[in-house]
Amino acid sequence: MEHEEMSLFPGLSRRDFLKTCGALAGLIGLSGPMAVPKVAEALEQLAKRPAVVWSLFQECLGCSVNLLQSRKPAPANLILQQISLNYHEAVMAAAGDQAEKSFNDTVNSGDFYYIVEGAIATTPKEAITIHGKTAADIVTSTYKKAKATICIGSCSCYGNIQAAAPNPTGAKGVGDFLRQDAGIPDAVVINSPRCPGNADDTVAILLYVLVNKKLPELDSIGRPKFLFGVTVHDNCERRGHFDNGEFVQVFGDEGSDKGWCLYKVGCKGPVTYAPCPKTRWNGQHGWPVTSGGPCIGCAEPDFWDKLTPFYDKAPGFHIPGDITPAQIGVGLGALTAVGIGAHFIGQAATGRLFKGGPVEGKEEEAGPKEGGK
Amino acid sequence: MTKVVIDPITRIEGHLRITCVVENGKVTDAWNTATLFRGFEIFMKNRDPKGIWQFAQRICGVCPTPHAFNSLKAVETALGVDKVSDSARLVRNMMEACQIGYDHILWFYQLNGFDYVNVPDALNAKAATPGLKAVQDQVKAVVDSGQLGPFANMYWDHPGYKLTPELNLEVTAHYLQALGVQQLANDAATMLGGRYPMIHNYVPGGVVQMPSIETIEFYKSNMAQVKDFIDTVMVPDLLAVAPFYLDLATYGQGVGNFLTWGVLDEKSQDPYDRLFPRGGIFDGKLELQKVDPDQTRQFTKTSYYGDDVGAGKHPLDVGQEPIQFTQLPPIEGEGLPQGKYDWTQATRYGDQNRPMEVGPLAQMLVAYLSGRPEAKTLVDSTLAAVGHAGDPMVLVSNLGRLAARVLKAKINADNALRWADDLLANIGGGDTTVYNELDYSRDGTGKGGWDAPRGALCHYTRIKDGKIDTYAAVPPSNWNLSPRDDSGKRGPVEEALVGTPVVDPAKPLEILRTVHTFDP
Ligand code: SF4
Ligand code: SF4
Repeated sequence: MEHEEMSLFPGLSRRDFLKTCGALAGLIGLSGPMAVPKVAEALEQLAKRPAVVWSLFQECLGCSVNLLQSRKPAPANLILQQISLNYHEAVMAAAGDQAEKSFNDTVNSGDFYYIVEGAIATTPKEAITIHGKTAADIVTSTYKKAKATICIGSCSCYGNIQAAAPNPTGAKGVGDFLRQDAGIPDAVVINSPRCPGNADDTVAILLYVLVNKKLPELDSIGRPKFLFGVTVHDNCERRGHFDNGEFVQVFGDEGSDKGWCLYKVGCKGPVTYAPCPKTRWNGQHGWPVTSGGPCIGCAEPDFWDKLTPFYDKAPGFHIPGDITPAQIGVGLGALTAVGIGAHFIGQAATGRLFKGGPVEGKEEEAGPKEGGK
Repeated sequence: MTKVVIDPITRIEGHLRITCVVENGKVTDAWNTATLFRGFEIFMKNRDPKGIWQFAQRICGVCPTPHAFNSLKAVETALGVDKVSDSARLVRNMMEACQIGYDHILWFYQLNGFDYVNVPDALNAKAATPGLKAVQDQVKAVVDSGQLGPFANMYWDHPGYKLTPELNLEVTAHYLQALGVQQLANDAATMLGGRYPMIHNYVPGGVVQMPSIETIEFYKSNMAQVKDFIDTVMVPDLLAVAPFYLDLATYGQGVGNFLTWGVLDEKSQDPYDRLFPRGGIFDGKLELQKVDPDQTRQFTKTSYYGDDVGAGKHPLDVGQEPIQFTQLPPIEGEGLPQGKYDWTQATRYGDQNRPMEVGPLAQMLVAYLSGRPEAKTLVDSTLAAVGHAGDPMVLVSNLGRLAARVLKAKINADNALRWADDLLANIGGGDTTVYNELDYSRDGTGKGGWDAPRGALCHYTRIKDGKIDTYAAVPPSNWNLSPRDDSGKRGPVEEALVGTPVVDPAKPLEILRTVHTFDP
């Protein structure tokens, strides 16, 4: 390959730069004629690239691997031109004492954004140490000096997999740890869950903070509302099949080939608040449901315990299986009793839902019973 | 005596401290300490076997695919199923080909590159092309800004950096290019698996659906580009850089025992018939032996578990409790690790409790000795190129580990399209079964045995009453980064570190190099 063909780096043309700004503006919810100039101006006015310190605690590096899948901007551009990634153990050249110096120089300046990937161990705290210090100690002192702390991935947000019962290391998300164990009851962190954390979220949140110079509006569990306001199910491209009662019954069946709804093979999309179907993953080449496998609910706290078994139907969400179409005609009261969302009820009320809709008796006809092809 | 501690070892997956004793310019003793514990085997108990692979792939976000595969295989064999349909095999091979393709590119450039390529020195180069000039300008912009970011505080003035400024610039450009190429492999994995890392298209008994023709063609097109990059950039880079670092052939020999469970199934789904076949090499004798994952034994006298938790037991009988954490000696001062010093168990093989090196070097040596034509041709030509025709033992060194990964990346990429073409042929022939439901009412014991990019990986499980009764994962790092066993024998990385030259103990570049050749 010729070097001339290399478009990732160096730099973007002005046109590409503005395109990137447009994409970012969309991601962080800015619209209108001033959106692109506003993002462009904010980026250009940064005399210094904002310094970022990225800690890895109880993690698997998956969130960082997904960061390397970022497109707008591409990772080299992000890491070297948009921000100054001063500390990231998997990326940085320096190791040992020299890495520790990079960490201390940046943190002591107080002029940095703090990103955390990974959970905080509490029993024992020594289940994760770096340079002889526990994650618990590192996160407490670093949080206090950072301009903002962003938790990328479900581990740093809520503890995630290592916190699965019986949580052998007392793993916790950063926010909970700071508030409950570190004596900082009013600690605020931005949570960007999912497992892995999504590169586009990371970029969007960073940009939001840089452009607006404030934290985004957060929901009750610390997630930016602009990203995590709707369920997966509400934006899913298979939603029409759900509404029509067309379900994959067994993997590999005719419904699988036709891209039908995965609710009956365990999809947790209906109870999961995340933007997967809209933002998609890895340069928008897919998201879990496009693979034909069910959503596992990885953006929800404690999904390892609350949303398992993964191939069982989503708990707390029922299609009105016990209700016959005739009963539906009687009144909507019965529907509210089965715990479904307002959107669903709205559709039922307009009659759209039960046009051959998801009623257990009916849905059995919708797909072949024997799959396994 | 000088004590050298590197904590954190950067550019790896995981958390690692290395402690060395340096005397007369050489490492004379070494200890590796994994400084992270999560307890997978504890919280995987009592779970639903069908979905356990979703837990398993979170063991490593760099190589989730082989963890997922191992978990499927362990559950399948526990429930009495040894093979999946041929089309499911091919989809799994395609996923693995993406995984290996991206991983080895990332390892060569992003994780190892800075050990050999002096980025600031690229500024002294005469840029031969406008593209290289542009890269140089960007490096200059970063340096001039005073914000060195990820380049800050490296040992750039170490005499161990030997490349010319021009080569430093060229490989820096490829470092940046490689970031785009790894995306091609992961985009293909995303088309098949929904995203990467943490895929969604696997399920015990097969895969969830037959990929569309469009997806298969996308995979083919992307993997063809990955192959092109490996052939025209990565292999030439290895051959351009290696002559400057031939001293790497003189250290890092390690324990001389090699193990691979094999990876990438041919039609037979026989582990000895894989693209990278199963096999072992013992005591530095290049003779191929059969190996059995049930001969894996673990010891815990030097790990943070009770002494008798391990005691040479099979992984399924070891578990991870109880935890007996003891503080390591401080980084400063003279104190050296004693007694318990690692979260990793000492993993050993067979009656003689041998420490085993795992990874691409083991995979390539076993493939070579198995007579796989791809491996024979490549290894023989590489040996001839470095003036050691017919002497594969010369590969047993840091240099060999570097070369083996690049050669393995090439064999993987050369075969990546074959899996897709065979799948298209199956579809054409009407053989489209991708999933067969398992009988979850059975009890049983099963195991995987399918290498990760970094080496031998095996998951083991016991299923009882429809639940995971016991689960054990033995990843490559458990082999390579084993601490001392109960008899005091060092693990493979510890052993490879002994003898590593250290020009300046304050800048232990050579120690980093030895550790990084194992891609921990
Ligand atoms: S959130 Fe998921 S991908 Fe990210 S570090 Fe945790 S387990 Fe790994
Ligand atoms: S249940 Fe899952 S697959 Fe079906 S529409 Fe909802 S999110 Fe999509």
